[in-house]
Amino acid sequence: MRHVADQRSAGTSLITYIVLAFFVILALFPFFYMVSLSLQSDADLFSGLPVIIPSELQFSNYLTIWEKAPFARFIVNSFVIAGGITILHLLFDPLIGYVFAKLVFPGMRFMFAALLSTLMLPFFIRMIPLYILTAELGWLDTYQGLIMPFAMSAYGIFMMRQFIRPIPSDLLDAARLDGASEWRIYRAVVLPQLGPPMATLALLTFVFQFNEFLWPLVVVSSVEMRPITTGLTLFNSEFFTQWNLTATGGAILFVPSLLLFVFMQRYFVQSVMMSGMK
Amino acid sequence: MKFLNSHHGRQAAFAYLVLSPAILYFSVYFFYPIAVELWASFFRGQPLIGDSEFTGIDNYVQALTDQRVRDAFVRTAIFAICGTIGTLLPALCLAAILAGPVKAATTIRAIIFFPYIISFVIVALMWKSILDPYTGILNAVLSSLGLPTQNWLSTPSTALPTIIAVTIWKDIGYAMLIYIAAIQSIPKDLYEAADVDGASARQKFFRITVPLLTPTTLFLAVISMIAHLQDLSAPYLLTGGGPAEATRLYALHVYETAFVELNIGYASALSFLMLIVILIVTALQFRFLNREVSY
Repeated sequence: MRHVADQRSAGTSLITYIVLAFFVILALFPFFYMVSLSLQSDADLFSGLPVIIPSELQFSNYLTIWEKAPFARFIVNSFVIAGGITILHLLFDPLIGYVFAKLVFPGMRFMFAALLSTLMLPFFIRMIPLYILTAELGWLDTYQGLIMPFAMSAYGIFMMRQFIRPIPSDLLDAARLDGASEWRIYRAVVLPQLGPPMATLALLTFVFQFNEFLWPLVVVSSVEMRPITTGLTLFNSEFFTQWNLTATGGAILFVPSLLLFVFMQRYFVQSVMMSGMK
Repeated sequence: MKFLNSHHGRQAAFAYLVLSPAILYFSVYFFYPIAVELWASFFRGQPLIGDSEFTGIDNYVQALTDQRVRDAFVRTAIFAICGTIGTLLPALCLAAILAGPVKAATTIRAIIFFPYIISFVIVALMWKSILDPYTGILNAVLSSLGLPTQNWLSTPSTALPTIIAVTIWKDIGYAMLIYIAAIQSIPKDLYEAADVDGASARQKFFRITVPLLTPTTLFLAVISMIAHLQDLSAPYLLTGGGPAEATRLYALHVYETAFVELNIGYASALSFLMLIVILIVTALQFRFLNREVSY
């Protein structure tokens, strides 16, 4: 009886590993193929048969490409925009979260409800008036025009509030009795306890903004102000079927995300699981 | 003065001081745009930036009878529903496997999650090179197996399913992680009790895991539906809406109406209609959620 059960579970576990292997290969293959394409010569590319392993590694694609588009500038732009937005979130979200979690003031319920209602107003719906607003401010094609629409989020504030609520109010009241100002209580008592949630907030905000495509597409008109995402599309249409060069561009622009993931992989997975628990 | 010196007075003063930039920000970037958009939707032409003419609810009447809008909406509904189901089902199965005792579960989890954090621009580039009818690897594999090849993104009947498949590929890992977190929080003694009763692995999955995951499933379904309804990157980057408008999804239609045809008033009305659809989807799913969870 036991023997039969063991055999069955060995069978199930074989199927399990086949399923997992299928999904792992499916997840990785496109990246592998992109890197392979980026190293192929035109001869490989137009040989009539798709090549998975290049016959010779043509690293010169990585030099050619650099002359065709200002990649360094695209990468800098992406870091300035996503980094700027992340810093603004780290400054404001925990502070506002603290106000809603721990302070007593008239109008609190109304303001919190108004804040949560902004979760129902997705970016896409606001895009047309935001474009006009940005144009009126003279911010088209500028960093501030790219950063400001994402400077704060109800989601980030709500998440911080959820993490601040469990901090004992007695602790804060004790500090108040000692004559500490609200700002000092926030800086010295609340903020030091928010390390992991703030890292989560920073990571998710940065990656999300790093990948933002729609807003730069709408407000950026010059080549130099493009972040990685729209920079790559410029390039994609120019060399339409020359997949080796397009793939080289993709491979270069994919490096920052890859590095971020490799070094913070464990943290990433925890962040998403943590944010979903809420 | 006395109020300001009390604890509550000082707290309130600090709260308003901190909230004032937030109030300004959310008014300018959230509430004002919605109001402006509603106002602009009653004009024909280019309200705010150019010539326009007040036409009342004409834009809305036109939108509801416009065949192109209707087609775009139906396509988007198919995209959203198939994309959501196609993401959640495999994600749930993977989560059920990876929440259990599997070797290298953490690494496998991370790999399957990886596509989710990549920009759709790169995703589109990779899949277009794989799906390329002449040089792509997929057709080559199919023809070497003796199967019919396809011009995946340029044939009206396969373009939309292909886009759906690519978005599923990207989103599966996120749904999987959320499911794993939820499965791990199910009390172990439920499974132990089932073991005592001699339940099979399959029974445990369908009688314990799936029902207890209902709130998670609804949460994922809501965010996935909403994201699909307004997805512009996928059709814009993979097909540009073609062939023959087969993948011209609602968001792409609104974008082109506004920024290519410069028909700002009409695009505002279309945008506002989408907001109403999103609110209805959210409300319906949360009503369902409240009913389901209260056992």
